[in-house]
Amino acid sequence: MTAVRAAATDEGLELRSVTAGYGARAVLHEVSLEVRPGEIVGLIGPNGSGKTTLVRVASRGLRPTAGQVLVGGMDPYAVPSRTAARLAAVVPQEFTPAFSFTVFEVVLMGRSPFLSAWSSGGPDDWAIARSAMAAANVQHLADRPTDELSGGERQRVVLAQALAQSTRVLILDEPTTHLDPGHMLDAMAVARRLAHRDGAAVLTVFHDLNLASAFCDRIHAMDRGRVLASGSPGEVIETGLIRRLYGVDADVTRAPRTGRPTVTFAAASEAEATSRARVHVVGGAGSGAALMRGLAERGFEVTVGVLHGTDTDEDVAARLDLRRVSVPAFAPIDDAAAREAAGLMADAWAIVVCDPPFGAGNVANLRLALDAARAGHLAYLVQGSPIEGRDFTGGEATALWTDLAANATVVATDADALEAVTRDHRRSEAAG
Amino acid sequence: MTKRGRLPLIAAVFVLVVILAVGLGSVWIAPWNVVRLLLWKAHLTGRPAGVPLTDQVILLQLRLPRVLLAAIVGAGLAVAGAVFQTLFSNPMADPAIIGVSSGAALGAIAVILAGWGAALGGSATAAAAFAGALLTALLVYRLARIGPAVQVGTLLLAGIAVAAVISSVITLVMAMSGQEVRSIYFWLLGGLGAASWQQVGEAGIPIAAGVVVVALSVANLNLMALGEERAGQLGLDIEGFKRLLLASGSLLAAAAVSVAGLIGFVGLMTPHIMRRIVGPDHRRLLPASILGGATFMVLADLVARTVVSPEEIPVGAVTALLGGPFFIYLLRRERRRAGARA
Repeated sequence: MTAVRAAATDEGLELRSVTAGYGARAVLHEVSLEVRPGEIVGLIGPNGSGKTTLVRVASRGLRPTAGQVLVGGMDPYAVPSRTAARLAAVVPQEFTPAFSFTVFEVVLMGRSPFLSAWSSGGPDDWAIARSAMAAANVQHLADRPTDELSGGERQRVVLAQALAQSTRVLILDEPTTHLDPGHMLDAMAVARRLAHRDGAAVLTVFHDLNLASAFCDRIHAMDRGRVLASGSPGEVIETGLIRRLYGVDADVTRAPRTGRPTVTFAAASEAEATSRARVHVVGGAGSGAALMRGLAERGFEVTVGVLHGTDTDEDVAARLDLRRVSVPAFAPIDDAAAREAAGLMADAWAIVVCDPPFGAGNVANLRLALDAARAGHLAYLVQGSPIEGRDFTGGEATALWTDLAANATVVATDADALEAVTRDHRRSEAAG
Repeated sequence: MTKRGRLPLIAAVFVLVVILAVGLGSVWIAPWNVVRLLLWKAHLTGRPAGVPLTDQVILLQLRLPRVLLAAIVGAGLAVAGAVFQTLFSNPMADPAIIGVSSGAALGAIAVILAGWGAALGGSATAAAAFAGALLTALLVYRLARIGPAVQVGTLLLAGIAVAAVISSVITLVMAMSGQEVRSIYFWLLGGLGAASWQQVGEAGIPIAAGVVVVALSVANLNLMALGEERAGQLGLDIEGFKRLLLASGSLLAAAAVSVAGLIGFVGLMTPHIMRRIVGPDHRRLLPASILGGATFMVLADLVARTVVSPEEIPVGAVTALLGGPFFIYLLRRERRRAGARA
């Protein structure tokens, strides 16, 4: 590693309007960004904003459906995996080998893009592995089996392995998750030295805004698969953006020595954060119980229906003293109940449809929710299990559910629904 | 002693066990005479004086092919086990446990009972066994895989389910054909009683081919053991390599099954014990597994043919007797580890 500061942009990393995702679901939408040689660029954003997906796309782990990735001027998806591994190295979030290799063996595997099938590497490779271990501060662990190490030690080992690849591009996916403050700063100092002294292009995902602020030359803020803001830490990290990204209030001051922004979160209580917005829950058979309880605890006003007598959800709603629309057990939903529920949905801030089984007795609930969602109402759909397995109406519920899914935010669990509702409500508060 | 320095020791144990095993049986042939006869056959010395002709015939025509076949089968199963354990990122994988051996058996039995075996010879049986093994391996891999790795529980359940279905199909096929049922049944239990020089060749060639393919992949096997995604980031062509591993593991298991029947646990135990001795690096683990599997199988077959002599017990029963408790021990350890991680 020589102290050459390369000027050519074709040694860096570039994404050109990249769209990518899993199956039909796009997680990244036309993302463009560039990491030039000699700079360290941070990625920030809330959970699910696409940071890790972007790392996978950039590290040849997920082929984009549109757009282009360029690493060292080459499309990594157009060259063999081995060639790509000589261009860019990745430090993953988690590293758990199936068998107990020693630390030195693992780090030496970082040389494998340069070695033939039987070779254990020559003196040059061992020297590179040793200096990588020294840089990541794991040289004293060289002969220890990796499965005896702590999470933080393993993370430094995989950092050393990536360093041993001696690439011009380094991509780190939240490399400091398991590290204590001392090792965290050490790891980031290694990354910064690699960029500033050796001229590598370094892209790092951060959870910690202060760490991003302290170490990055530039920061991209991501939200829902798009780059929301880009610039120097001073330009990007400010109160308004933090509220838009995370839905929380924060004070941003300047660090006395560096002048870089420092973030302090205002610890607002959860109940205070919401101003009694009403959420209408469509449950049944216990599918809405946890959600109703969670929403009520977070300060939302909760209404529920239409439910049937003796149903678990009816019981829970009664105990939580929620306003609810009910019909007797086994009775179909009559017009009066349907009108009342439709009225509750129409005035609610949001509607959450849980995943009970649907039969003739309660399929009307789906029709009501679909009408509201089609009218532009904010709706969430909890899709814990496929609708086909819960449809006892001979297909009607499946058809309604599918329509509803197209008009609603689909989440996997009731816990996800709770998070999504809370987050979106904070955002709407922040925006309003 | 360094981990590398232990390999010659393992090789020495193997040679001693072979000399002992070819000497032991209804007629005792002293190790010294065994060595002299072997040196003569290797054209290194003249015909040794004072060794009876019967000893020479017993050694060269009966015991040596059987012991060598045991060694080849053991080596093949052990390497197949090591390959599947790395492929599945799961230390509980073994050709018998994941149903691949049963798949091979079904393929072979189908050909034998259809009468094609007699018409086309051993190669048709071997090819059918390979096809059966490969299809089963693919099926179990698809079933057991959730996300980036194959969980212990899912793998075992998928393997057990697939093996159970295949076993019942085998039983059905045998019942409907009504011929040679007894011999096939004995074969299903695993045995080397019919060993011959011809079988040594039939099993030796595909197993040698499989071992060569694996030997050329040791560095990639090491990468694979870091997890699929990481291996890809370090430059391994994952999809192509997985296909190569499925094919070579199935070839090794099928070649072993088509001469020796169903023999479990060799592929599970050997790589485990060898990892303890030489470490997980496949550059050492592969030769250690070849030698270890061969040694283990020669000893198991020695027990099978001597303890109730002149009767034989199926060698599969011997390996299962040792392997079952080992399997339970491993399963408990893996669960403890998973618990500690969670």
